[in-house]
Amino acid sequence: MTSLLLLLAVTWSPFDGERVEFGRDVRPILSQACYPCHGPDDGKREAGLRLDRADVVHDPREILVPGSPSGSELYYRITTDSSLERMPPETALHQLTSEQVDVLRRWIEQGASYEEHWSFQPIRRPEVPAVRHTSWPVNAIDHFVLERLEGLDLGPADEADRRTLIRRLTLDLTGLPPTLDEIATFVADSSPDAVEKLVDRLLASPAYAERMTLAWMDAARYGDTSVFHADGPRSMWPWRDWVLDAYEHNLPFDEFTLAQLAGDLVPGATLEQRIATGFIRNNGTSDEGGAIDEELRVSYMIDRVKTTGNVWLGLSTECAQCHEHKYDPISQRDYYRLFAFFNQSVEKGFQTRQGNAAPVMTVPAADQGRRLEELETILQATEGYLSSVQPPALELAAWAEDQRQKILALQVPTLTPWQALGPLRAGSSREAFQKTYGPEKHVDLAAKTAGLFWESRDDLVDGAVHALALPNNSALYLYRTIHVDQATTRSASFGSDDTLQVWLNGESLLATEVYRAAAADQNRLVLDLKAGPNRLLIKVVNGGGQSGVYFKLLGLPVPDAVAATLGAERSARTPEQLEALRDYFVRNVWSVGRRRVTELQSTRNELTTLQQSIPTVMVMEDLPEGRPTYLLDRGQYDAPKRDQSLEPGVLEFLLPMPNNAPRNRLGLAQWLIDPDHPLTARVAVNRYWAMLLGTGLVGTVMDFGSQGEFPSHPQLLDWLAAEFIASGWNVKHILKLIVLSSTYRQSSHRRPELTDLDPRNRMLGRAPRFRLQGEFIRDQALAVSGLLVDRVGGPGVRPYQPPGLWNEVSLDKNVRFARESGEALYRRSMYIYWKRSAPMPAMTIFDAPTREKCVVQRQRTNTPLQALVTLNDVQFVEAARHLAERMMRAGSDFKKRLDHGFERCTGRPADERRRTIMRSVLDRQLATFRADPAAAAALVAVGDSSRDESLEAVEHAAWTVIASMLLNLDETLNRE
Amino acid sequence: MDPIRENQQLLTRRTLLGRSARGLGALALASMLPRGLAAAPASTGANGLPGLPHFAPRAKRVIYLFMSGGPSHIDLFDYKPALREIHGIELPESIRQGQRLTTMTSGQTTFPCVAPMFDFQRHGQHGTWVSELLPYTARIVDDITIVKSMNTEAINHDPAITFINTGNQQPGKPSLGAWLSYGLGTMNRDLPDYVVMISRGSGNLQALYARLWASGFLPSKHQGVKFRSGGDPVLYLGNPPGIDATTRRHMLDGIAAINEARYEETGDAEIHDRIAQYEMAYRMQSSVPDLMDLSDEPESVFDLYGPDARKPGTFASNCILARRLAERDVRFIQLFHRGWDGHGNLPREIRGQCKDTDQAAAALVMDLKQRGLLDDTLVICGGEFGRTIYSQGTLTKDNHGRDHHGRCFHTWLAGAGIKRGFEYGETDDFCYNIVKDPVHIRDLNATILNQLGIDHERFTYPYQGLDQKLTGVEEAHVVKGILA
Repeated sequence: MTSLLLLLAVTWSPFDGERVEFGRDVRPILSQACYPCHGPDDGKREAGLRLDRADVVHDPREILVPGSPSGSELYYRITTDSSLERMPPETALHQLTSEQVDVLRRWIEQGASYEEHWSFQPIRRPEVPAVRHTSWPVNAIDHFVLERLEGLDLGPADEADRRTLIRRLTLDLTGLPPTLDEIATFVADSSPDAVEKLVDRLLASPAYAERMTLAWMDAARYGDTSVFHADGPRSMWPWRDWVLDAYEHNLPFDEFTLAQLAGDLVPGATLEQRIATGFIRNNGTSDEGGAIDEELRVSYMIDRVKTTGNVWLGLSTECAQCHEHKYDPISQRDYYRLFAFFNQSVEKGFQTRQGNAAPVMTVPAADQGRRLEELETILQATEGYLSSVQPPALELAAWAEDQRQKILALQVPTLTPWQALGPLRAGSSREAFQKTYGPEKHVDLAAKTAGLFWESRDDLVDGAVHALALPNNSALYLYRTIHVDQATTRSASFGSDDTLQVWLNGESLLATEVYRAAAADQNRLVLDLKAGPNRLLIKVVNGGGQSGVYFKLLGLPVPDAVAATLGAERSARTPEQLEALRDYFVRNVWSVGRRRVTELQSTRNELTTLQQSIPTVMVMEDLPEGRPTYLLDRGQYDAPKRDQSLEPGVLEFLLPMPNNAPRNRLGLAQWLIDPDHPLTARVAVNRYWAMLLGTGLVGTVMDFGSQGEFPSHPQLLDWLAAEFIASGWNVKHILKLIVLSSTYRQSSHRRPELTDLDPRNRMLGRAPRFRLQGEFIRDQALAVSGLLVDRVGGPGVRPYQPPGLWNEVSLDKNVRFARESGEALYRRSMYIYWKRSAPMPAMTIFDAPTREKCVVQRQRTNTPLQALVTLNDVQFVEAARHLAERMMRAGSDFKKRLDHGFERCTGRPADERRRTIMRSVLDRQLATFRADPAAAAALVAVGDSSRDESLEAVEHAAWTVIASMLLNLDETLNRE
Repeated sequence: MDPIRENQQLLTRRTLLGRSARGLGALALASMLPRGLAAAPASTGANGLPGLPHFAPRAKRVIYLFMSGGPSHIDLFDYKPALREIHGIELPESIRQGQRLTTMTSGQTTFPCVAPMFDFQRHGQHGTWVSELLPYTARIVDDITIVKSMNTEAINHDPAITFINTGNQQPGKPSLGAWLSYGLGTMNRDLPDYVVMISRGSGNLQALYARLWASGFLPSKHQGVKFRSGGDPVLYLGNPPGIDATTRRHMLDGIAAINEARYEETGDAEIHDRIAQYEMAYRMQSSVPDLMDLSDEPESVFDLYGPDARKPGTFASNCILARRLAERDVRFIQLFHRGWDGHGNLPREIRGQCKDTDQAAAALVMDLKQRGLLDDTLVICGGEFGRTIYSQGTLTKDNHGRDHHGRCFHTWLAGAGIKRGFEYGETDDFCYNIVKDPVHIRDLNATILNQLGIDHERFTYPYQGLDQKLTGVEEAHVVKGILA
């Protein structure tokens, strides 16, 4: 009864006669019910009426007469019974409630004043309000929260107990549970700064960086695959590792922003700054055969505008892709000016299904980088030696004369340099091998063939194996002419990696579909050369890995160029020819030189191997000459309004571009991180708040526009945003402020007096209690069982996953998930290889997004499938049996063992009630497994890891059942 | 509005309406719902949205036989004798009208038209033209409506299949089934609301994506649950080795007892929801294997669905499962059958694809009908687009390919208030452009919702500042012409 009276008291009084605030009370009503037809969209405005601007009070139709609802057309329209005149029309989705009509009435009565939308206004640090309960606040946050509670005659909740607090803090800041030692230390620490010390320790841990990075991966739509069509693999983890590093070193949020949006454009950009731009490249890309390049390319830019809007502005810009925004003042022109920032990218629309698409950069690890430099130095030195050393003159002359005599006896063909066409990609090596791309029928070196131009490859000198660097499943054509004065027959030696096809004068001589490493003399063919030019065409297809080619016309002891020199009179030899002769002699004949060549070759081999092992990452690079951007009619890629060329530009209604900011992504980033920007800091701190308190101060974390929720504590939001900027965008500082506050430290137990009044806990009269996100649930199981491998960073890993999931949806019939073994099974869940068309189900079942698009706030649902994961997934059963081992080793009596497991999972030992429940299950299971030891043996054998064989299997199995129950308790699955 | 004030207002209003304090629990629930839904009229039951369905539904459930890859309308249903006369002639520019083609054929120098290389006969009282490839479907033509004027803007698989299943060519939106689960709730305590099954044909396979049955921005409990033929029929369904049903029962009882203790300590009502979800998981452990076990089906059923029906994982087997799911009142059952992408070797491939699907799809309609389920079960069968009249690659005496074609294609529907023995929409002599009654895929989706008692215009979810709809921002219309 008390609570009901209180309820009536607090719900009635604030409204009666209270002043209506436009931003809080009125705009949401107008926005939802009226703006669709009377808002910012010029294209769909009824009756020429705009209700989103203050000048409507001057409308001669007396739409709004300040002070007089009865004199205002608007009020008449929303109250009349005439269905012809009534607004919103009957067909409208949103009708006004009587409360909403009443708010509008009072607003008109009170003067119908407009204010600009709150989140578009500059951030001003508000005064910290005074509170009655002065001993409660730890910092300013608590003043704002308590003021609100006291306004309703309520006090805060008690502080959570120490065990709850350390588990909450550790999970919130690191995504892992505290260890038993950590709990004991904290519980025993009675110093006044115990919490602060704990927080400092957590914020300094690598696990903190992992936790923050995971949240950013959702926003950045991180994946290990390309999303569309084949959803092929890519390697963006070096970008993810950059983010880990940024969080670990507390890179200020402004620099974090700038590096990811424009690191490549910073003068003298570092390797790290360029890697950071992988953020932009994380969008899904397509390799679909029939796709139209420009359609795809435009769609990538649209995704980037969306992502930037969602992540930094908290605005959805999508509406304005096709028409003026209906709710926020974003015109279509504004939209395409934002689009123009990204539209400069050099990349193509049609991208690959095999690895990273250009532009990419290699990301060597430190030791790799050093070795790379060493090898290059050795190469240069050896090359320098070989190209300058003078061999003994007599030896050279004797050899040359001997060769000359041999050559004069032969006819010397003239070979033009190789011309190359490719790589030409296909879905499979078989397809690339079989497909006729055109040169088989006719070669026109001047014409574009299969979408590409021929390129001269005079680097492919005869008689050596050359690496071709072909992507997997792609073909390369090589073409040249061989001129002889008289018809003759010569044999030729070929080598290839992989397949080889050869045509002479249009006639196929060889087609061999083999997969091999290239070497000299893998195939030998007889060439019937006619007098004049002969057309030689070869085609090499790379099925995977390295690729290469070898060619040499036989019958001559030396390469043709050398032969030509030797064939010439000695006196007629040019200095270039003499040099060629020397070079050949040194490298191929002179014993000292040949030794150095062998060294050179092995150095090159090591370099190639090393280079291939160095990961790459996709990065941003703009076209030097720029690309014009046009407004796209109705958002259609093929309908640019060519008369409306647009320069890159920002949303000026928020803030003009800073002076001297360049009109490129760097300028965009500088605009976003300008201290005067009204949204960036508010949106960021609100996300941190939502991460730690379960709900944002603005509940619609992704929408700060006029359709978004009004903040529960607008002044607190602004104070935090101002503090964030003033601290130099110091992320750890803000997180620390929040978690040290009394607000955060409250107990999460429900307070009956608040349950009805504030069911969503928006007044923060207690801490939230919510289910851990899927990654943390798995990580917690790995941590409490001792299985967790806490290696930071690196490529994605493939732990346990039910079989067949990739194959049943994959484009090719045989794209299969290959589970790894060993430590890959026990890494933190953020490292799970993220295939975006078939993501790990144990994560998506717990609301992990597919990451095809930017998501800044996850759902938090509760489903039977989640129960099946934590009860039955090998990963969790294996964790349970290891937790059982730990419990059994903790002591010989039941209580010690149970407490050990309970405390690991929940931070607390079991109480009597829980102990009784568990005791009865354990006893029953011991009996069950004694009667069926095979079942016990089967249970303790789940998973790859070995078992402590000194533990009796029946007892171990029974304790595994208990451990599995622990992993499934609500108090384990929740952060309390 | 200020979220706290919003709640206060609701409370005030309801208090004035004379609700007791006890009734406020339901109210708290209402305030947690997205804006616009909380104020909707009272729910008619289950755990769907209040106010839904908007009007009396004709369908209680939907079985969607999705033919992935783009079946050729020309070779199956959209027949006209005049096609024989255009065989081999160049596609006239007056027909193509400069429309965009995929880049697989836009570089072709010649676009020879290809008449179907199959015989067509009229069937049923309606005299529907049906290809010889579909002898069983030919027997049900008087039970179905064939829409021949489906159309989509997408011309490639990924955007097209995403478009028809989620209402948008880009990822991120909820699938049709997820919308239904969200809006209408469940009719079955023991099974998911939305079940997906995948089978593979012998033709050219295109990829599928989790997003096609995902929940997008809706809560993930609305995502489609895949039922699978190998291993666990539902992921993670089976108890681990050594844990039998009795042990599992004891575990769940123990977990529930401790959870109840935690509820008493914390007062968090969501704990009760967790207990309920664990119980449903337990029930699924028996209900799903029961469902998947076809041993109780009589011989006559296997005769009806065809020899493949005995092989788990085939389309035919999945069709029997679809009927069993429908009998158990699962709301939305979606089968994906892959392999319809006939770029080359279309005559051979489509024959195989039809052999995989024809008998079982027709059997499903007949089976539902004889069990009285067709009256309130909507059956849909179609793909993401059709195929071009012109040959992709070389046209020979007995072989050719067809490229993707979004400007017209077919889908058939049956049951739940759909006209019987009917054809809707017409294409031109080249099966290339629609000349009468176009049905955009948005219109199809609006019609599906309509049969379930949902006004697609009023079925929204607020996300990122917009009232998101399955049918998107462009206009969509219920296809009244196919409704009985």
